[in-house]
Parts: sequence; C-alpha cells; structure tokens
Amino acid sequence: MSDSILIVLEQYISSKILKQPDRKINPEEFLISSGMIDSFSLVDLALFVEDTFNVRIEDAELNAQTFNSLNQLAALIESRLEK
Amino acid sequence: MTILQIAVLAILAIIIGQLPRGRQLAMLAISTFAIFWLQPDEPFVTLLFWLPVATLAISLLCWALTSGPESRSWRQNWPAAALLAAIIVLMDLNRIFKIEQVYTSRTPVLELTLAVLFGLAVLTGVIIRWQSVNPIFQAAGLAAIILIFIILKTPNLLSMVSGYLVNLRGANTADKTIPLTWLGYSYIAFRLLHTIRDKQTGRLPPLTLAEYFNYAIFFPSFTAGPIDRAERFVKELKMPLTLTNDDWLDAGSRLFVGLFKKFVIADLLAFLSLSNILVEQVKSTGWMWIFLYAYAFRIYFDFSGYTDIAIGMGRLMGIRLPENFNAPYLKSNLTQFWNSWHMSLTQWFRAYYFNPITRAMRSAKRPLPVWLIIFVTQISTMVLIGLWHGVTIGFAIWGLWHGLGLFVQNRWSEFIRTRVPAWAQTQSGQKVASAFGIFLTFNFVAVGWLFFNLDSPATAWLAMKKLFGVI
Repeated sequence: MSDSILIVLEQYISSKILKQPDRKINPEEFLISSGMIDSFSLVDLALFVEDTFNVRIEDAELNAQTFNSLNQLAALIESRLEK
Repeated sequence: MTILQIAVLAILAIIIGQLPRGRQLAMLAISTFAIFWLQPDEPFVTLLFWLPVATLAISLLCWALTSGPESRSWRQNWPAAALLAAIIVLMDLNRIFKIEQVYTSRTPVLELTLAVLFGLAVLTGVIIRWQSVNPIFQAAGLAAIILIFIILKTPNLLSMVSGYLVNLRGANTADKTIPLTWLGYSYIAFRLLHTIRDKQTGRLPPLTLAEYFNYAIFFPSFTAGPIDRAERFVKELKMPLTLTNDDWLDAGSRLFVGLFKKFVIADLLAFLSLSNILVEQVKSTGWMWIFLYAYAFRIYFDFSGYTDIAIGMGRLMGIRLPENFNAPYLKSNLTQFWNSWHMSLTQWFRAYYFNPITRAMRSAKRPLPVWLIIFVTQISTMVLIGLWHGVTIGFAIWGLWHGLGLFVQNRWSEFIRTRVPAWAQTQSGQKVASAFGIFLTFNFVAVGWLFFNLDSPATAWLAMKKLFGVI
C-alpha cells in the first residue's frame, strides 16, 4: 500500500509542483525544510491528498514537523486511512 | 529581562527540574510571580499590579472558553486556582511587606483585589456553563483578544487610552503620550488565539487549568517567545522528567550562548547600529552599509540570543521549546529566510491565516489565476506579520517589502525551474548560484530593516538614497 501512495505522491510533486515529470524524488529527501515545496504548493499538496486519499491534513499540520519527506507523508496518510 | 532576572529564573528552573513531584504547580507559581516581577515600570503605578492581573484574567477566561468536560472539574483544578489566587493576593500584600526590591508596594487595597478575584471566578463559571452551548462565546473571545492587540499596537489608539487613564486618575493631563507596556501580550495573545481557534475546529486536547496556564505564561518564553503549540507543549509537560547529562549540557550551552549573543555581541553591535540620528549625520555610503549590517546582525543576535536563553531555561525543566531561528542569514532565497527567521511566529501565521486563505481561494468554484492568489496571500500575510510588531506605516511597508520580495522570488523560481542553464547544474555552478543567492537575500533583508528600525518612512527613504549613493 505504502509504495503505491509513494508513487502517486512523487508523480504529483514532480509533475505538478516541480513541473519536471521525469524528476525522481528520494523518499527520504527533505521536501519542506529544503524549500523544494513552497508554502503555496504545500496547500495544493494538502488539497491533492484530500481529493486522492480522502485524508484531511489540517492547516496547522502543513509544516516540516508534521512531515518533511515522501516517506513521512505516506506514513501519515496510511495512519489516517486505517482509522 | 536583565542578567540578574535571567540568573534568578534559571536557578528557579534548575530547582523545578529537580522536584520529585509537583513540577506543574511549581512552574505555575514561578510563571505567575514572574509576570508581576518582570512587568516594567508604568506611568500609572496601579497598572504595575493590574496589567499582570489582566494577563492572568485573560488567560483564565480563555481557559474557560476552551476547556472541555474532561478537564474542568473542580477536583482537578482547585490546587492551580488556589495557587493563582494566593500569588495575586501575596503580590497585593506587598503594600504591607514592602519588599520594594522585588515588587512595588503601591498595590491596591486588599478588598478591591478580592472583589476582582471573586468577579473573575463568577465570570469563569458563567463562561464554562455557556461556552459549549453557544459558539458565539469563542468568537467573542477571539475578537476581544484581537481588539486589545490592535489598541496596544497602534500608537494613536494607545495614547488615547493612556490619556483617558491619566484623566481618570486626575493626574497631569498635559502629557498624554505616556507609554503603556503590557509585557508579553503580543506572545500570550497569539497563544490564546491558537487555543481558541483549535477549540473551534475541535483539535485542542483537553487541558487542565495548570496545563493551560503553564502553556500560556511559561516564564522562559513569556516575554519574547517562542510561540509554542499547546498540544506539543503539554505533551512535554506530562512526560516524566529525567534530565540526562546531554540535557544539562544542552541547557547550559544554550543559556551561555544566548547570554553571550544578547549581552555581548548584540550590545556591542548596538554602538554601530543604524539609528535615526546616524541616518541624518552620516555622509559616506560605506559607513551607511556598515551601520546597516551592524543593525541586521544586532537584531539577529539579540532576538536569537533571547530564544536560546528561553530554550535553555525550558530544557532545565524538561520542556523542549520550539526553535525560532535556523541560520537565517545563510539562506539562499527569501522563502528559506522566512522558514528560518522567527519561525514560531511565521508558522502561526501559516496555520491560522495563510493556509486557510490559500485553501479557500484554491478550492473556490471559480479559482483566480495562480499568480494572483500567490500575490494576494503572500503580501497580506507579510503585511500582517509586519503589523504584528506594531500598527505603523513603517512596519506595514516592511511587511510589504518582504511580501513583494517573496512574490517576485516565487515567480522567478517558477520561471527558472525548467530553464536552469547547464553551468548552474554542475556542482561548482550550484555553489556559485547559492553564494550569490545568500548575498542577495541578506542584502534584501538588511535594506528591509530600514523600514523596521527607523522611526519614519521618510527617514528610511533618506537612508536608502544614501546607501545607494543617490544623495
């Protein structure tokens, strides 16, 4: 399950946010603290996660402490899918 | 805070950290006492007592507004309530003890204080009874905190209030511009707003009176932040405290580094920092840049030193406060600068302003073009962050400066993303680009400080002309 979430997330981030569809993102790479995803795109990412997985990420959770890598985001989504 | 005050509080923090039991109540006692002790001199002596009481009252009412059935029983909360009342009464009784070295003895008569405490207790009961029935209470709480904030931060409004108080006291009415400093309000207000908003959205964990107060008025972060999040803070508070050697080392080094940054580096740089008088007097462009850089480093060392002290003190009691700075002047673009300057404040604004607004605009039925949404949200967020420091033209322009900077940088990144030249993709090319980025970002931020630091936009404009040799 986690792998498919990772692929969907990576695809979205590289094609829609970074506009480089061929770009590979390491699952441990820092997304937020590195500045790869800016605050505006972060909201878009939250909306995408909400639409795709039906999992809500709150406004106050959109920061590097809640998730900072693809792995962490996938884990967050998974933990909420289980509930 | 003076070095003496910091030393006393650090010793108290060490003692609290060693208590086998009762850490929460001990913290609450010292935090409550510190509010009175640290309150700077006021033109109206009675405010030395009533402003700290107001801080406690507003925190109490917000606790009542946000408390849930699991955390508000009398049995859970009477020790904290009794402790708060006892400390207020003790501070008041200094009119009899007259320990002037610690606190003013010109406090109100005991009957008045007791009457106010009784009134507060009744009001707390009423709010607890009704807040869950009618959500208007929480909305009114938000509005009241923001209204007080605006009055305190708007010089004209504040001098009106001061003038009114002067008249009320029948004192000399000639000078109506007497400053009024409500110590810590900017930070407490934002903590309280966060708890009310999270309560409204159902995300605030149940907090007892002692937990809520320790979060809102925690003495290390009371005067200058960082602005923590309640659930995070209370999680730390509830963890059993065992200080390891690493904790001691960390706490000690943070305190030492903080004191050094604030009282040695920042205070030395103060001699060289750009001021209104210097702007008028200096003729050489080179010196203008030196004075400007001195100010830029001074404000960083002063503020980050304060944060280090707060974090170190927190560690002594087993509380890890959030970081506020992460080498902001070494960042290669403005977005990263704002991810590492006064982080707890910017995260607050993201959580409660930028993200909700952006989310709403992005999910609108007919969404605006992306660039326009970014323009509106970036600029309004940064202007609000500017106004948080004070409702003045200077702070608004400072916010605008950064908002526009962030917008331009965002658009540039978007444009260049797919057009990065081959040389810039090599390792050395990346290093050069990054070094240039750091230089540009630092200078942009430094020039922006003109509007923050100087007393009028006209002075800032004059300084800018001198910096660029136009005059």
